[in-house]
Amino acid sequence: MLRYLSTRLVRALLTICFVVTFAFVILRLSGDPALLILSPDAPPEAIEAFRKSWGLDRPVWEQYVRYFGAIAEGNLGRSMRDGRPALDLVLERVPATLALTIPALILKLVIGIPAGIYAALHRNKLADRMTMLFSVAGFTVPSFVLGLVLVLIFSVNLGWLPSGGQDSWIHGILPVITLGTAGAAVLARFTRSAMLEVLGQPYIRTASAKGLAWHRVVVDHALPNAAIPTVTIVGFMVGSLVAGAVVVESVFSWPGVGRLLVVAVANRDLAVVQTILLFVAATMVCANLTVDMLYGWIDPRLRTRRVAGAG
Amino acid sequence: MATVTDDRIAADPTAVGPPRSRVARFVEAWPPSVLLALGWIVAMLLIAASVEWIAGYAYTAMDLRARLSPPILFGGTERHLLGTDELGRDVLSRLLYSIRMSLLIAFFGTLIAATLGTFLGILAAHFRGWVEDIVLTMIDFQASMPFLIIALAVLAFFGNSLILFICLMGFHGWERYARISRGLAIAANEQGYAGAVRQLGAPAWRIYGRHVLPNIASTLIVSMTLAFPETILLESGLSFLGLGVQPPLTSLGNMVGYGREYLTRAPWIMLAPSAVIVLTTLSISLVGDWLRDRLDPTLK
Amino acid sequence: MNAPAAPLLQARDLSRSFRVRRSGGMFGHAAVLHAVDGVSFDLTPGRTLGLVGESGCGKTTTARLVLGILTPTGGEVRFEGAPVPAPGTRAWRQLRRRMQMVFQDPLGALDRRIPVGQQVMEPLAIHGAGARGDRRGRALELLDAVGLGASFFARYPHELSGGQRQRIVLARALILDPTLLVCDEPISALDVSIQAQVINLLLDLQAKFGLAYLFISHDLKVVRQISHEVAVMYLGKIVEQGDPDRLLTDPAHPYTQALVSAIPVAAAARRRPRLILKGDPPNPVDRPAGCAFHPRCPAAVDRCRVDTPVLKPLPDGRLAACHVAHGEAGSARLVA
Repeated sequence: MLRYLSTRLVRALLTICFVVTFAFVILRLSGDPALLILSPDAPPEAIEAFRKSWGLDRPVWEQYVRYFGAIAEGNLGRSMRDGRPALDLVLERVPATLALTIPALILKLVIGIPAGIYAALHRNKLADRMTMLFSVAGFTVPSFVLGLVLVLIFSVNLGWLPSGGQDSWIHGILPVITLGTAGAAVLARFTRSAMLEVLGQPYIRTASAKGLAWHRVVVDHALPNAAIPTVTIVGFMVGSLVAGAVVVESVFSWPGVGRLLVVAVANRDLAVVQTILLFVAATMVCANLTVDMLYGWIDPRLRTRRVAGAG
Repeated sequence: MATVTDDRIAADPTAVGPPRSRVARFVEAWPPSVLLALGWIVAMLLIAASVEWIAGYAYTAMDLRARLSPPILFGGTERHLLGTDELGRDVLSRLLYSIRMSLLIAFFGTLIAATLGTFLGILAAHFRGWVEDIVLTMIDFQASMPFLIIALAVLAFFGNSLILFICLMGFHGWERYARISRGLAIAANEQGYAGAVRQLGAPAWRIYGRHVLPNIASTLIVSMTLAFPETILLESGLSFLGLGVQPPLTSLGNMVGYGREYLTRAPWIMLAPSAVIVLTTLSISLVGDWLRDRLDPTLK
Repeated sequence: MNAPAAPLLQARDLSRSFRVRRSGGMFGHAAVLHAVDGVSFDLTPGRTLGLVGESGCGKTTTARLVLGILTPTGGEVRFEGAPVPAPGTRAWRQLRRRMQMVFQDPLGALDRRIPVGQQVMEPLAIHGAGARGDRRGRALELLDAVGLGASFFARYPHELSGGQRQRIVLARALILDPTLLVCDEPISALDVSIQAQVINLLLDLQAKFGLAYLFISHDLKVVRQISHEVAVMYLGKIVEQGDPDRLLTDPAHPYTQALVSAIPVAAAARRRPRLILKGDPPNPVDRPAGCAFHPRCPAAVDRCRVDTPVLKPLPDGRLAACHVAHGEAGSARLVA
């Protein structure tokens, strides 16, 4: 178990290093970082100072080391639009994003998982087919289309709900529904196939053949085993809480991290983009690590699993 | 309890019913939904191939006397069947050109991703050791980051051009092909035909080109079909945000993004491309699922 | 039969170990598995050496070492006097023309998508042997040699029976005129009725092409039919080696005795008491000290627990690695 966790931890650190390297490489490939991170019309002495402080006059490998150092200190550059530290800009947008993505995550879990389990237990029945239809639609209707259609119906035609902005909780209803619907569809489909896979296993047949009540078979044997793959996808959803609303925030003019990212990309405000990239990577890695620990807890095989075999 | 037991019997796929008619068997092999989906895909491909001849107007042609004209059944004229936009451009013609653009981008993107992923997967399977470790780390990284964020970062750093954009789409989902091809190639090398051919003295290009690739092709083609709608959605999402295909070129997502400004006054600008996106991705998904069930039940 | 021909294949003190991770404990720990441990033998052209033992005794590893698919961790293999080159090199690929392999699972060894005739021709294309136009004719010759007609050329592997597939694998292995054929359990996946046919075919082919076989099987009876010499392996070592008939009628090593007693005999008069071995074959990672066989050996004495016996000649010329068989145990043989 310790070994399992330590390899996961090493892998998580590796992934972070990978993202930092990725950011460094594209930053270097895309031109003079001083001109990109600051702005081309920044005063020459500022550019010179930037070059010195980031060590741009040094060899590439040293720059790489310094880059790591700067990021470790939280020095991620300043936004070229208003000159404020990029990290502050990003952090102050996080609550708005979470205000959308956490209710949406709850919506996904509350709809998606029960729907998937129900569909698997009633395979090929009407309920199953309806669930699958809903989930295929969730896959194929892009969130911006769903969002705009909801706006068209509930804001433009019916006038019940506001179409954008963040003035009250009512403004959050449409974006949360938009986000939650697509995610619930993904989760329902995933849970259903995980359940079906488990229900087809010999131990389930054994359990029901030995006379165990069917609901006990499901609760004691099928659900815990189906939970293992489902946890992965939920972990991915948790990991994308910060960045999962890029499109939806833009549709509803919601001032979160996603909207900040889109605006920053459009303006090529690289310090902000880079900060969001690293921030998202960090949350993803933390979420994955948590999922791995949960695995160890849910799946007893992982606690003792060893690599066996002789070449 | 009794009903539950019935469920399980009904769920048994091997249960044999009474002999069925030829029509029933045909419907089972070719479900109507799949036929409809195939029909829609064929129509889209025909449009993409012949857009110059069937579009009534150039996609940039403006008709300033007929701005924001509604579709024909909603009070518009037969000159613009799906209406016009703020600049008087014909929505139908722009839609047809957008279909071609979106399909082309998704096609090349999927092709690049499949080529790249398969190559890396086979590389990992062939060399094992540290090469495999690097490929696996890259797979983990790609699978653990939302691709939209990576794509946005690359667009921010490199700016935008159509070629760069297509290449970017080519990095979407490569890790799936890499996983599949690595797994299948390792299996083939260790106990199967590939090991036997290697033992005959065949060089690597022959083992993979003549034997492994043709054997895993059906699996890869099914994965490509399943990945294609995702690439369309990614392209249209980025274009919707104004960060994908740039005007004056037009794609489906681009049109939706533009039409959003006129949601109140001219919803048809946004609804027409939205419907095409949904129907196209739905059709390809249906065909992909059907292909998977027929060709490769191992891919679930 | 003991004409001093130059050996085609020489294995000298051949060893191969694998690193494995063991279960147990909090972390598990690395261990070394000695799959093959100090195996030596010679094989002269046109002859057959049978290699017998339970699954996991190192037979298949030995085969892969001989073919150079695996590199030995100790000792060496010489083929026609020269060491076998490293796998994947140009020299190694060239050597495939001289040594070939027949697999246990013929369906797995064939590409399901390609007609079998094409697959029989493939070695010619790989090695650029013969004119392009002659290859088909050559493949048909080989199909004929393994008892399949020209009508099989265009068929696919799944359309053939197990025995027919194995004939295809044989034809493909023989098309380059090799001098050594390594057969790894070539008949154990086949129906019993087909096994004899394939054995007879192998004997015919040996007579016709002058092939040498390294024939690997877990079945002593089959090995006896085809081999000029038999080596019995137990946990990575050869424990007894010699003439197959002598070995079967009067096995010297207690392990061979157990194997022989397990062969079903038809005539009741010849029935011998069946020797049932105690326990399972031990895990090769946990090799017992001394003679590896002593925990299961009905004749084991104290010396067997500490002193590893060496493979050396018995008075009749056969080789055995057993203190008891050599009369060095300090007590009489206890075996019935």
